Amino acid sequence: MSRVRFALCSTVVIVLGAVTLIAPATSQTPPTSPTPQPSQTPQASQTPQASQTPQASQTPKSGGVLNMMLREDLSQGFAIHETSTISSVWPVMPCLSNLVLFDPLKKTESVDTIIGELAEKWSWQDNYRNLVFFLRKGVKWHDGQPFTSKDVKFTFDVLREAADAPAKLRINPRKDWYANVEAIETPDTHTAVFRLKKPQPSLLLMLASGYTPVYAAHLSPANYRTTCVGTGPFKLKEWRKGEYVEFVKNPDYFVKGRPYLAGLKYFVIVERGTRQAAMQAGKLDVTFPGETTKTAAEQLKKAVPQLVVTPYSQNVTDNIIMNVKKPPFDNPKIRLAVSHAIDRRALIQAVHQGGAVVGAALAPKPWGFWGLAEKDLVGLPGYGAKPADEKALARKLMAEAGFSPEKPIKVEIVTRAIAIYVDMASFVINELKQIGIDATLKQIETAQWHATATRGDYQIGANLTGIGPDDPDANYYENYACGSPRNYSQYCNEEVMKMFDAQSQELDPKKRLALNVAIQKKLEADAARPILDWKIDFFTVWPHVKNLIPHQSIYNFGRMQEVWSDK
Amino acid sequence: MKTYVAQRLVIALLTLLGMSMVIFTLLRLAPGDIVDILFSTAGFVSPSEKQAIMKELGIDRPYWVQYLDWLRQIVTGDLGKSYRYDQPAWQIIRPLVPVTLELAALSTLFAVLIGVPAGVVSAVRQDTTLDYVLRVFSLAGLSMPAFWLGMVIILGLVTWFAWIPPLTYVGPTEDFKLHAVQFLLPALAVGYRSSALIMRITRSSLLEVMREDYIRTAWAKGQTERVVIWRHALKNALLPVVTVIGIEFAFLIGGLVVTETVFNLPGVARFLVQAILWRDYPIVQNLVMFIAIVVILSNLLVDMLYGVLDPRVRYGG
Repeated sequence: MSRVRFALCSTVVIVLGAVTLIAPATSQTPPTSPTPQPSQTPQASQTPQASQTPQASQTPKSGGVLNMMLREDLSQGFAIHETSTISSVWPVMPCLSNLVLFDPLKKTESVDTIIGELAEKWSWQDNYRNLVFFLRKGVKWHDGQPFTSKDVKFTFDVLREAADAPAKLRINPRKDWYANVEAIETPDTHTAVFRLKKPQPSLLLMLASGYTPVYAAHLSPANYRTTCVGTGPFKLKEWRKGEYVEFVKNPDYFVKGRPYLAGLKYFVIVERGTRQAAMQAGKLDVTFPGETTKTAAEQLKKAVPQLVVTPYSQNVTDNIIMNVKKPPFDNPKIRLAVSHAIDRRALIQAVHQGGAVVGAALAPKPWGFWGLAEKDLVGLPGYGAKPADEKALARKLMAEAGFSPEKPIKVEIVTRAIAIYVDMASFVINELKQIGIDATLKQIETAQWHATATRGDYQIGANLTGIGPDDPDANYYENYACGSPRNYSQYCNEEVMKMFDAQSQELDPKKRLALNVAIQKKLEADAARPILDWKIDFFTVWPHVKNLIPHQSIYNFGRMQEVWSDK
Repeated sequence: MKTYVAQRLVIALLTLLGMSMVIFTLLRLAPGDIVDILFSTAGFVSPSEKQAIMKELGIDRPYWVQYLDWLRQIVTGDLGKSYRYDQPAWQIIRPLVPVTLELAALSTLFAVLIGVPAGVVSAVRQDTTLDYVLRVFSLAGLSMPAFWLGMVIILGLVTWFAWIPPLTYVGPTEDFKLHAVQFLLPALAVGYRSSALIMRITRSSLLEVMREDYIRTAWAKGQTERVVIWRHALKNALLPVVTVIGIEFAFLIGGLVVTETVFNLPGVARFLVQAILWRDYPIVQNLVMFIAIVVILSNLLVDMLYGVLDPRVRYGG
């Protein structure tokens, strides 16, 4: 055989050899699914203000490792208190515990679904001015140190930046949540009292958020950037940078019989296509909260019909920020015209393929608890049933301000340089063009985005906002309150601030709901931060994953202590 | 020869010094810094807190002080601390290097094993059907981006076999077969593209050599095709091919970012991009210097190979 033929044959042999090597590795039988059960929600015993033991409709099995995805590596390690991103909360929640938490087995979060974690019982006193927590005894940190009320005081003194706080966070994004806490007292090692300046029922809901775990007083907050010492159901086994985070079951977890799973592994997979392929191939059991669009879920379901897809509200909005301190959006007519011009329903179809819903400042019913129903939305700017009428009204407002499509106003619309922002901004530009606002798109890299928005270095922007719990206080004081660093529009209305305070202190739930309806209408009428839609996530799991129930916020159901695997 | 190598190493050091200035300067010219990124994960920026964090990380110092500090760290073997992970940069970088080196080496090996024989066949059988087929094959390789090919491979695997390669790095001692499969697929995807270039260079170089008088003499003396091609022609045709192989290998060290991302391999290139986005200066600076060192060394190796392939080439005194 000539050398030439030999060389050619060698090449063919190499390729064939590669296929031979790959084929056995791919001959694994895809995971088989059990017969889908009609309902996986267990009947949990509901003892308010006490820890709950759910009674599942199936008998949970112990063991197994749940494989999950992360779209990026941990940004600041396990320091939940120093970040505001689901990329931190989701993989870190299993390691930590709160005083209280939203019941993981109930998809709707409200004051009625709060269960105790480190707090066994709690009690409002002095007309909602004091919140007393009776802490569990015998709880240990993962390093063996005992948990006491000192840890609670330490955590929340640091969070509220008390004058005598023993430590300081490098970055404190939720300081405003605790602005109403005057002091934290610890009369004994297992009692902690939050003394408030004014009544605030919402505080309990904020404490139940995934964003509010308790840190160890014997460790510096900086420790959490590199390792996790918590009291949660899972202990950190390994964090291999850029690759995965792995947890193992905490045998000393304070809820006996929990967790069911032997471990959790979160794989860092930056490429979206690879994440989806891994999910489809069964290498991953669960999608990442907030990452599965309607289209992606449909593709997954088509490829693997046995996958379980659950739509739920992420508690994340697309919205428009307009700098009220700079022309032209210091003119309320122009701001209102912008809100009228954008056809929300068309945006939902065009940008999200139907994977979002219209809503005002709070998550709309039935996805959220406080939001406006469809009938209340119709009368608000931009939510009308007839987009043509809305645009006509917008043009009228622009004409009153001296502009028209023939004599347009030129602005620069900024947005973050990632696809989900840019898609929305592109749609908005087209809508604005029709009413006499000629907007050019400026994409700003992530490194500069929040600095630009916080400084007010823009005229108008297309933005995304995620809110921890579905709660008015958490939302209003962060995003609309005068002087809040995340109030990018710099909107400040003293009358509205009084409305915020009034609803915050209102103890009658019905009256509070009515106040929030009025606030939402006012915020939309002022075009403070026009909400374009509330994003729906299509959370997808393999059918062997049980008891992982998405809530109406992506930030609060990642503890994993009730999850089990039927594999 | 020793003098030549010593001279090249001195030049290499000077090159690296120049590179360090360029890397350092370019990084700082990019808008934003690590503190801006840290705040972006929190959703706001506080100017006063920003100053405090800059001081904590040492990036409020004058640039020349930071540069000299970095040089000192390199010389003493301490690569500094990652701003993002708050851990020694060397601990972060060390596990990445073998992954990328192995992938680049395997890709280059496949490129050579596919490209050189294909180029020889194509040149020897010039203007035949086989030649056209091989040229189309190489054109396809040049046209297809490696990341697209990688994604097609992944999608093909998941669609037809409901399987994809491991999601985390599997070491050769952990499970050799799985390790081999994990690297085989991306190496083939990248190697195919590189083989296309090598094949075309081999073909054109061999065609040129085969028109030389000494080759005609060899044919006239009655030598077999095997002897003429492999003993006489190919050796002389390999010089440009070796150059291209060296350049390709060096390029791959920093250019595998998308392949590593698609196949989820924890290599240098993928990590470098993340570090740049995070403005994690210690990681970026050290990784880029590592890439520069690999490029310089591979060029030196290629130059040394010239002397082996062509006895007329001599270096030094």
